[in-house]
Amino acid sequence: MHAGASPSRGLAAGVAIVISLNACGAPPPDAASLLKQSSQRMLGLNGFHFQMQISGFTGPDEPVQSAQGDAHPPALHARVNLKEGGILLEVEVIFAAGNIYLKSFTGGWQQLTPDQVAQFFDARTLFDPQLGLFAAMRDTSAAARGNAEKVNGHDTYPIAGQVSGARMHQLLALIRDQGSYRATYWVETQGSNLWRARLTGNLFDAAKPATITFDFSNHDHPVSTTPPPLG
Amino acid sequence: MITPFRPPRLRSVNRTVLLGLTGAGLFLASLDAYVVVTALLPMLKSVNIAVNRPEQATPIITGFLLGYLAIMPMAGGLSDRFGRLRLFAVCLVLFAFGSLLTATAPSLAQLVTGRVLQGAGGGALVPAVLALAADLYPAGDRSPVLGAVSALQEIGSVLGPLWGGLITASSFGWTWIFWINIPAAALLLWALWPEVRAGGEERRPANLDWLGALLATAGLSLLTLALYAATPEQSPVGDGFIWQLPAAIVCFGLFVWHERRTPHPLINVRRFRDSSFTGSALTNAIAGAGLMVALVYIPVLANAVFSMNASSAALLLFRLMLGIPVGALLGGFLAQRLRSYRFVAALGLLLAAVGFLMLSGWNEGSLTPHLLGSPLTVADGELLLTGFGLGLEIAPVSAALLDAVGETERGAGASFLIVMRLVGMLVGFSLVAGFSLWEFHRATAHLIPPLPGLNPNFATQYAIYVLKVKQAIFDEYHLIFRATAVALFIGALLAALTLRPLPRPRWR
Repeated sequence: MHAGASPSRGLAAGVAIVISLNACGAPPPDAASLLKQSSQRMLGLNGFHFQMQISGFTGPDEPVQSAQGDAHPPALHARVNLKEGGILLEVEVIFAAGNIYLKSFTGGWQQLTPDQVAQFFDARTLFDPQLGLFAAMRDTSAAARGNAEKVNGHDTYPIAGQVSGARMHQLLALIRDQGSYRATYWVETQGSNLWRARLTGNLFDAAKPATITFDFSNHDHPVSTTPPPLG
Repeated sequence: MITPFRPPRLRSVNRTVLLGLTGAGLFLASLDAYVVVTALLPMLKSVNIAVNRPEQATPIITGFLLGYLAIMPMAGGLSDRFGRLRLFAVCLVLFAFGSLLTATAPSLAQLVTGRVLQGAGGGALVPAVLALAADLYPAGDRSPVLGAVSALQEIGSVLGPLWGGLITASSFGWTWIFWINIPAAALLLWALWPEVRAGGEERRPANLDWLGALLATAGLSLLTLALYAATPEQSPVGDGFIWQLPAAIVCFGLFVWHERRTPHPLINVRRFRDSSFTGSALTNAIAGAGLMVALVYIPVLANAVFSMNASSAALLLFRLMLGIPVGALLGGFLAQRLRSYRFVAALGLLLAAVGFLMLSGWNEGSLTPHLLGSPLTVADGELLLTGFGLGLEIAPVSAALLDAVGETERGAGASFLIVMRLVGMLVGFSLVAGFSLWEFHRATAHLIPPLPGLNPNFATQYAIYVLKVKQAIFDEYHLIFRATAVALFIGALLAALTLRPLPRPRWR
C-alpha cells in the first residue's frame, strides 16, 4: 500500500529548507555593487598603506618599477624604485599641501613642478577620487565575481572586468590610452576593503604585456603629510 | 670537541673515494662562503632593492656568517653522536635547501633565510669532514690529509668570488650560482648513500654543550642586529642598538659564566688568561675583519666607480685572493725557520695594513699605471701585497693559539680559530658597513641632484653632479680602507706583544 506524504513530514521538510536557506545567508551583492561599495569605502578611509609593483615590459620612458608608502588622497608619502640605465634607484616622494617634494640618491628634499614629476611617476593621480584606481573600479565593465579567496589572511571576492585604456591612462599617465585592459579586484567579503588590485594588458607597449599589482593594508589608519624641510 | 675513532666498516671501504666525495661537498660549500660578494648588486635588483639602498645587502653577507657560526661549535659533537657521514648528509641537504631558497627568492627575507641555511649547512661540513679524515687515517698519517681537507676549503673560499662573478656576468645570471648546488649535492648524496644508509659508523655519546652554543649564538645574533644600520642616513648602528648591545653583552657574560662551570665547555675560557692565546685569538679576528672588508668592498668599488661587470670585479679581487695562499705557505715556512710566531704574524699584518693604506689612495686612474714596465699594474701589486700580508699571518697566529691550548684541547682550539676569524668578519663588516654608509650620507647630505627643466644647462650640471657623487664614493672607500689599515696595525702590535715563541720540538 502506498502511503501519502504525512503533514508532519511536509512540515519537517519545510523547516529544513528554511533552516538551510538561513544557514547559507543572504547571497553576496553582484560584482558591480561590490565594486561600488569598495570604491566608496576606500575613498572614505582616513588613510592606507599601499605597495605597487610593475612586472613585465617597461620601456625607457616608464622608469617606475615599484612604489610603496602611505596615502590619504591627495596626501601621499612613498618610496619609489626607478630603473635608470639598467640599475634600480630609490627616491622618496611626498605630496603635501598641493606641492610635490622629492628626495633623491643624495641631498635633501627639493620641490618639483608637476611637469617634472610627470616625467617619471606622478603618483598624485593613482588614488585621485575622480581619476584614480578607486574611480576606475566604478567604471569597470563586464565585472564578474569569482569564488572567495584569501588575500593576506582576509576573505575576499575576486572581481574581474575590463577598464578602458583611456580610463587607465588617467590613473597613471605612463599607461597607453588605447584599447582596454583586464582589471581584477580582491574585495573583502565583510567591510568591502580592497586588499589587492591587478591591471593586466599591453600597458606600456602595443605588443608587450605588463601587469601592475597594488596591495593594500593598514586600512583606515590616519595618514597626513607635511611639507618636508628643503635642502 | 671532535673525538677520533676507527669504525671498522668505514676502514674497509675505499677511504680515498670517501674522502674525495665528502671533500667535494666541502669544496662546494666553501665556494659559496664568499660567492655573493661579486653578485650583490644583481641579487638586490632581483628582489627589487635599489642600488642606493646597499645597507639591505648587509644581511645577505652577515646571515651566512651567522648560520655558519651557530652550527660550527656543535658540529664536532654532533658528528660524534650521529656519525660523520649522517651529519654530512643532513648538512648537505640543508645547504642544498638553502641554495634553493636563495635561487628562488622573490624577497629579501627569503634571500637572507636561504643564506643562513646555506651557512648552517656549509659550516657543519668543515668539522664533519675533518673528523671523518681523522677516522679514516691513523694518527701518524693524518696530518697531510687534514692539511689537504683544510686546503680544499681555503681554495674553495678563494675561488668563490671569481666563480660567482663569472656566473653572474654570464648569460645564466646570478641564480645559477645557487641552482648548480642542487644537482651537485644530489649527485654527491647519491654516491655516498650506500655508506650513509649502511650506518657502519661507530656512534658514541658526545657531550654537547647546547646551552653554551645557544648563549653564544644569541649573543652574536643580538650583536649583529645592534650593529646593522638599517637606516644609515640617520644612524651608523641599528635602531635597537641601545638595548640590543647590552642584551648581547649579557648573553656573552652568561656564556662565560656557563662555560666556567660546565664539565664539557665549547671553549675553555680560562685560556683567556694566557696572553698568547688571547692575543692570537684577537689577532685572528682582526685579520678576518680585514679580509672581509677586502672581499666585499673591492668588488663593489670596482662595480660602482670603475664600472666593471661582475667578472671583471671578481678578477680584480682575485689578485688579492691569489696573494693569500702564497703568503700562507711562506708564513708557515718563515715562522718555522725564524722560530718566531710574533715576528712573522706582525710582519704579515703590517704588510696587509700597508696594502690597505695604498688602496685607500685609489682614484679613477689608479688601475692603469704599470709597475716598473711589467705587465702588472701598480694596483695589481697593491692587491697582491694586501693578500700576501693577510696570508702570511695565518700560520703563525694559528700555531700560536694551538700551542697555547695544548694537546688535549687541540680540536676545540682549531674550531675556535675558525670561529674567531668568522666573528671578526661578522663584527668588522657590520661596523664598517654601517659607519661607511652613514659617512657617505653625511658627506652628500647637501648634494642635491639637478633636475631636467629647472636647469637650462642640465647636461653639464648633471655631469658635475655625477663627478661629485663618484668623489664621495671614493672618499667613503678611502675611509673604509684607512680604518681597516688602522685595525691591522693594532693587530700587528698585538701579535708582536703577545705571541709566544715556538716551543722546542719534542720527538715521540
